Amino acid sequence: MTVKAFFKSTAFKSLAVLIAIVLVAGALLAVCNDLLYVSDEERFARSLAKIYGSEVTATEVELTDEERAYQNGSVDAVYYVEEDGNYLFHTTGTGGYGSGGTVTLWTILTCTGSREDGDLALTGIEKVVYDSNSGQTLMANFGDAFYAVFEDADELVAGGGNFSATDAEDGLFNLETGATYTSTAACNAVNTALACFRTVFMGGDA
Amino acid sequence: MNASMKKYGKIAYDGLITNNATFKLVLGTCATLGMSTSAVNSFGMGLSVTVVLLLSNVIISLLRKAIPNAVRIPAFVVIIATMVTLLRMVLEKYIPDLYDAMGVFLPLIVVNCVILGRAEAFASKQPVLDSAVDGIFTGLGLTCALTLIGIIREFLGSGSFFGMQVMDFKIGFFTNAAGAFFVYGICIALFVFFTDRVDRAKRVKKAQLLRVPAQPLPAVEEEEVN
Repeated sequence: MTVKAFFKSTAFKSLAVLIAIVLVAGALLAVCNDLLYVSDEERFARSLAKIYGSEVTATEVELTDEERAYQNGSVDAVYYVEEDGNYLFHTTGTGGYGSGGTVTLWTILTCTGSREDGDLALTGIEKVVYDSNSGQTLMANFGDAFYAVFEDADELVAGGGNFSATDAEDGLFNLETGATYTSTAACNAVNTALACFRTVFMGGDA
Repeated sequence: MNASMKKYGKIAYDGLITNNATFKLVLGTCATLGMSTSAVNSFGMGLSVTVVLLLSNVIISLLRKAIPNAVRIPAFVVIIATMVTLLRMVLEKYIPDLYDAMGVFLPLIVVNCVILGRAEAFASKQPVLDSAVDGIFTGLGLTCALTLIGIIREFLGSGSFFGMQVMDFKIGFFTNAAGAFFVYGICIALFVFFTDRVDRAKRVKKAQLLRVPAQPLPAVEEEEVN
């Protein structure tokens, strides 16, 4: 086949059309990505608005790598909320469904005293809000009633206890969600927030 | 009614009823079962597919003479994937709640059989306006079907209607995959039953119109023989 014949062939035309489509699509997506990019700040502001229902001022608390890692989860970030003096934790709990399945939650811990004065005390959980998950197929089954269990357990939280998805004795979690592993990961996310607060902020044991 | 209106009416009827993607062609089942846990999610998914269908049908129809037959499928997939990625960006920026709710099903629109099917069967052979009408009404047919399944599952599974609590009961079965299959199957059966009855009624009416009533033969006058 001569060069001239190649340029006139269907194969060349097919390649040229495909490359042209890909280039135009790529250029269009690049422009739109620039216009519609959602920054981390915007994402955080959205999360705060979702959690509080209004604008609040939150300052990130510095943590070392050691202070972020726990047995059944990790602390992604902690914020001090100026308006109410509470702490907002963004934590990921392990032990979910599938290999490496996790649940990430926002947890607002209520407290009395201040860290600077050294008299900080945990009083309960104000709110738990779902953020994201990895590999959890039944997450849609987790409604407000599930998260309300954490918010109604001030005595357990203030008394140094942790949450367990399979602890039938407490009756904390029924199995209406049909997702024991995902419930475990969600509990671990909250427990990680509690552990971090107790060890790093209150200087005690997890 | 002029010919073009009649043509668009037929395309619209085909998209909504005769070739309903969900209930008649049983296409896009993955998204149908996965996203129909609530009416709002179903409606959002349906509208998203409609937008992608409309845009991809129009672009494919515009390029139908330029795309060689040998590479039409890869070209269609690239176009559809571009439209879906654009939709993802727009949803993430302006409707983040819907973006979060749709999760993994949003990028999966790329491989939705309905979109590739309409591109291959209709848009690659028809003019732009016809393809646009087909995209809109095929998408609306899918949206209606998805929303109906979503309403039933949400009502029976959570006792709510578009997120508003209306009844104090819930049957967990309907929020699970088995409940999704059950509701989907019942809906298909009812849809086929009613459309079949309507078709039969139409055929009977047409046959009656075609039937020529018997006319009495004119009497032959006998010639008088003298």
